[in-house]
Amino acid sequence: MENSEVRKLRESLRKQGYIVDASISLSVFLSMKLSKPLLVEGPAGVGKTEIAKVMAAALDTDLIRLQCYEGLDAAHALYEWNYQRQLLHLKMEEQSGKSLAEKEKDIFSDAFLLKRPLLQAITHHKSPVLLIDEIDRADEEFESFLLEVLSDWQITIPERGTINASHIPHVIVTSNRVRELSEALRRRCLYLWIDYPEFEKELEIIMSKVPAINQQLGDQICRFMQELRQLKLDKTPGIAETLDWATALAELHIEHLDKTVVESTLGIVLKDWQDLRQVQDSLSELFERVGVKSKMD
Amino acid sequence: MPISRQTSLAANIVGFCRHLRQHQFTIGPGEASDALNGILVLEAVNDPYLFREALKAVLTKSQKERRRFDELYANYWKELSKAVDSKTKDVAETSNTKGKSSRKRPPSLTELKQWLFGNKNTEQAEMAVYSPGAALGQKDLSGIPRKGLEEIIQAIYEIARVLATKNNRRYRPSKTPGAFDVRNTLRRNMRSGGEIIHLSFRKPQQKKLNIVLLCDVSRSMDLYSRFLIQLMFGFQSTYRNIETFVFSTTIQRVTRQLATNEFDTALTQLSDEVNQWSGGTRIGESLNGFVNDYGKRMLTQRTVVVILSDGMDNGDTDILKESLATINRKSACLIWLNPLAGKPGYKPKVKGMKAALPYIDLFAGVHNTRTLQRALKRFKIKGKQKRLTLSP
Repeated sequence: MENSEVRKLRESLRKQGYIVDASISLSVFLSMKLSKPLLVEGPAGVGKTEIAKVMAAALDTDLIRLQCYEGLDAAHALYEWNYQRQLLHLKMEEQSGKSLAEKEKDIFSDAFLLKRPLLQAITHHKSPVLLIDEIDRADEEFESFLLEVLSDWQITIPERGTINASHIPHVIVTSNRVRELSEALRRRCLYLWIDYPEFEKELEIIMSKVPAINQQLGDQICRFMQELRQLKLDKTPGIAETLDWATALAELHIEHLDKTVVESTLGIVLKDWQDLRQVQDSLSELFERVGVKSKMD
Repeated sequence: MPISRQTSLAANIVGFCRHLRQHQFTIGPGEASDALNGILVLEAVNDPYLFREALKAVLTKSQKERRRFDELYANYWKELSKAVDSKTKDVAETSNTKGKSSRKRPPSLTELKQWLFGNKNTEQAEMAVYSPGAALGQKDLSGIPRKGLEEIIQAIYEIARVLATKNNRRYRPSKTPGAFDVRNTLRRNMRSGGEIIHLSFRKPQQKKLNIVLLCDVSRSMDLYSRFLIQLMFGFQSTYRNIETFVFSTTIQRVTRQLATNEFDTALTQLSDEVNQWSGGTRIGESLNGFVNDYGKRMLTQRTVVVILSDGMDNGDTDILKESLATINRKSACLIWLNPLAGKPGYKPKVKGMKAALPYIDLFAGVHNTRTLQRALKRFKIKGKQKRLTLSP
């Protein structure tokens, strides 16, 4: 049985083209209700980032994205003063006879403040969806700094004072598990693990995202992908790859998979030379398991 | 009536949280109250499925915990209903006894002790001859191993300095003219009313490399146990970006156990939670386990992998080769420190060691502080490429 509100959320996500199962919708719902960030982990290409996008669309609000990278610091995440502009402004005002206090008030006004994602999220007029993408790429110092913002929802700008959030954003934090996240961050968040989709779910996603495709081909693609993920590949393809592949095949007006088609389009799915070779070697075996006739026989 | 239900629900959830805590979940009162809120928000009190899923969503904080949750959940309510049936135990007692019974494995402190103090020789004697018959005095765990720790830490500081070479995207102030730092310049010149008099510059901050330390703790390494544990602790305490593993027949991550300032605490945690001291040796399988479970996350072009082992292996040599090739390819540098190689005239004769040599960037003999320092001196950084290379 499912709570009616959760079902409603699930329907609205589905309307945005995002197929969710019970555990995803439940976690999203709870994170919104309990106002806690949602930490999403899972292999690459399973739609972690997509959650935030469809959430924003479903809630009819803005998506503010903070892409993390190594060396990301407060100036790029919070705010920065537009120094060049401040300098120019001071030069221009030199002859104006304004007092020092007036000048200072001028150059520390909103016009000179460059709002970065976190400050944007806090000062937004309506609860936005704040996506903190690939937090594991930022370093630990940034993680600890983020904790402070995420728990208090306030940012202090020395020249302006403390700014409190007018509307608390819905926060989605994603991680590819490049490094272990700190216990402290985990405890602040609700946790959601998204795995590669089951056959039915993947098929549903293909059919809804690539309407041009026929049922038989979609079916074959899904079965092929499911088998592919069983192999020990260096970079296991995710849903993103499945969709790319499906779109490509649909564009080529292909009706069903066969050996030549797969061989010539495998580069869409596999992004590693060794993986490619491994799959090419075991292609016939794969076909057998998927139940596709190869053109040769 | 509703109030009594409320309290019993709260009590149950608190009891359950305690149960999880006993199974190494990090759960505090905050999580418990979140769980209760979640249940209320979802109106899940009368829906067993939703109830479980809600608790799962709120109380698990990692994939590992998620996998263990269902079993723990089932166990808890089974025990609870038993207790309620017999009307002899209350919730707290149930969870307590649960915790006790679940701790099947006795603490392996004795194992570690044996591993640590199975040899009583000094470093010099260790090198000369191994005498298994040496008298074993019973010593306090906290007593011995601290000796020599300072030197090791000092030596590791040096390597840490060497490894801090990679440029970062962050900047720090610089005294020499270079990239112009507008922000600081403006700040410094505020007092002269915005007239630019002093200039500030900045330069890129340097970024440390990551270290992955893989320690062989099998029986053949017993002789160097004291040094090994000190080394692991020393590395962990001086170097921040480090992951430590031990292996004999399987790989086990001990970063968490070592992450403390107290050497004694680290020892206790190691002995309580690591159960493969003095085991057999399957280096290949262990390394393969590392590559599969942690490789993708931990091996990058900025990772230095340090393996501490004597290479005496009775596992599969092909797997060893394959794993080492992967590690070599995916990391910046693979260092193998071998306690035996410190002996004059040492030649890698052991099957495992021979197989491993082609994949190793630096092979050095290390069995005590002096040899460690000597090995560390061989690290050098090649000028512009900013990649760790080694002088022969």
